[in-house]
Amino acid sequence: MKGNEVILEGKNVGTERVHNMDFTVLKGQIVTIIGPSGSGKSTLINLLNRINDPLEGEILFHGKNVKEYPVPELRKKIGMVFQTANLFTGTVEENLKYGPEIWGEWTPELGKELLRFVQLPEEFLSKDVEDISGGQQQRVSFARTLANDPEVLLMDEATSALDNRTEELVEEELLQLVKEKKITILMITHDLEQARRLGDQTFFIADGRILEQGKTEDLFESPATEELKFFLEVE
Amino acid sequence: MPEISNLSMLTVIIFVLIPVSLSYLYSLGIAKTTIWSSLRGIIQLILIGYVLTFLFEITDWIAVTLAVLVMISAASWQAGQRGKGIKNAFLVTFTVLAIIEGLVLILWIGFNIIPFESQQVIPMSGMVIGNSMVASALALERLKNDFSVHKGKVLAALSLGATPPKAANIIIRNTIKAAMIPSIDGLKTIGLVQLPGMMTGLIIGGASPIEAIRYQIVISLSIFASVSLTSMFVSAIAYRSFFNKDMQLVEIKEND
Ligand SMILES: Nc1ncnc2c1ncn2[C@@H]1O[C@H](COP(=O)(O)OP(=O)(O)OP(=O)(O)O)[C@@H](O)[C@H]1O
Ligand SMILES: [Mg+2]
Repeated sequence: MKGNEVILEGKNVGTERVHNMDFTVLKGQIVTIIGPSGSGKSTLINLLNRINDPLEGEILFHGKNVKEYPVPELRKKIGMVFQTANLFTGTVEENLKYGPEIWGEWTPELGKELLRFVQLPEEFLSKDVEDISGGQQQRVSFARTLANDPEVLLMDEATSALDNRTEELVEEELLQLVKEKKITILMITHDLEQARRLGDQTFFIADGRILEQGKTEDLFESPATEELKFFLEVE
Repeated sequence: MPEISNLSMLTVIIFVLIPVSLSYLYSLGIAKTTIWSSLRGIIQLILIGYVLTFLFEITDWIAVTLAVLVMISAASWQAGQRGKGIKNAFLVTFTVLAIIEGLVLILWIGFNIIPFESQQVIPMSGMVIGNSMVASALALERLKNDFSVHKGKVLAALSLGATPPKAANIIIRNTIKAAMIPSIDGLKTIGLVQLPGMMTGLIIGGASPIEAIRYQIVISLSIFASVSLTSMFVSAIAYRSFFNKDMQLVEIKEND
């Protein structure tokens, strides 16, 4: 266990599609979220940075309801990376500075640093996003989110479109972030190997409910529910 | 001015029957709407003939006010239909068209470009409002389309902490551009591809081409300015209905 400060907490969270979700996320941990397609994984993490709001229950960030934070500030602190890069038309630099400029925190140095971090050459700053490969775009998207210096990183199948090498690279970066910046990560993945490799904790979601949560090892080694047993077998 | 006889009017309808029969042949399923639209168009025009005769007889400012209000309402209703799902699409278009028409009138009358007479102001306003209506409908439709196609980008922007106006900016730029393209193209080919309607009318009516062109320049530029402003204003107001007060994207339900 790395530290034990609770950073995110869900209490009886429900929407039209997910129900009675209780969960705890500790600072500096990687939580991997697994479960069948359509089970409500995306629905859950979209509630954390208020892309949507729950109809029932509440979500606490540092012990305070997420609704009590100014929305932009919350979203700066809880960053999100999507399955597709969703880059804005323009150059790589324009994308990287989008967040920091909102807070007046942009410097050209930061741009270079971010690109170094995702292992892209500095010259990429002036490149048009249309002119770089899909994997590179995804890394720029990742860097764009990191540019906001988030405390929590939400990743919705963010590495699933990457080739193996790039995926490995991003995984290394994630581990580095956790180690150096004590960042907390919640990542949805369909790659069970990845979920096991990276996770400190794992949530298993099925049919709109968190059926199991706990140490990643425990879930994979000794699943408590029939659903998880079955899921681990067929996937 | 040569009269067109009732008989020759009827023969024009044959023209309409050609595409109608063809669309039957290709089973495009638009024969009914085509017939209905043509009939509706003819009846509307005949009625308008009488209405205009009446309007041209009463006091200018009353006539202009009446006509402009009716035109703007009809135009806003039509554009609002296209913008179904967008909150207050009718009201947004109505307000924007009213402002645009007001500006155009101030320009025309204030700078003595045309005299304040029903015969001049009403048809010319009609052209401005009609074109602005198309621009508004295009902008609304385009906005809906772009917000759905580029939903990921808007979500990415919001997730980075952007406020709705900033996030919407990614989309609105394209919306305005797209809504303006037809009128920019129209401006480029004016007089080359087609003699604009008003000029055609004036020349048939016996005005000299030069005189007709002066009017056409006024109306073309007025239309261009109005269309551009309409796209901008409508987009700048209507994007709001895609967000709620918590800076979240809301689903736009299209049921047409
Ligand atoms: N925009 C939407 N409109 C209607 N239903 C939706 C929408 N988004 C999700 N759903 C439904 O909500 C449920 C949960 O979806 P969610 O996207 O959270 O699943 P998921 O676990 O992320 O699935 P996947 O692994 O396929 O991404 C599903 O039944 C889905 O069909
Ligand atoms: Mg999902």
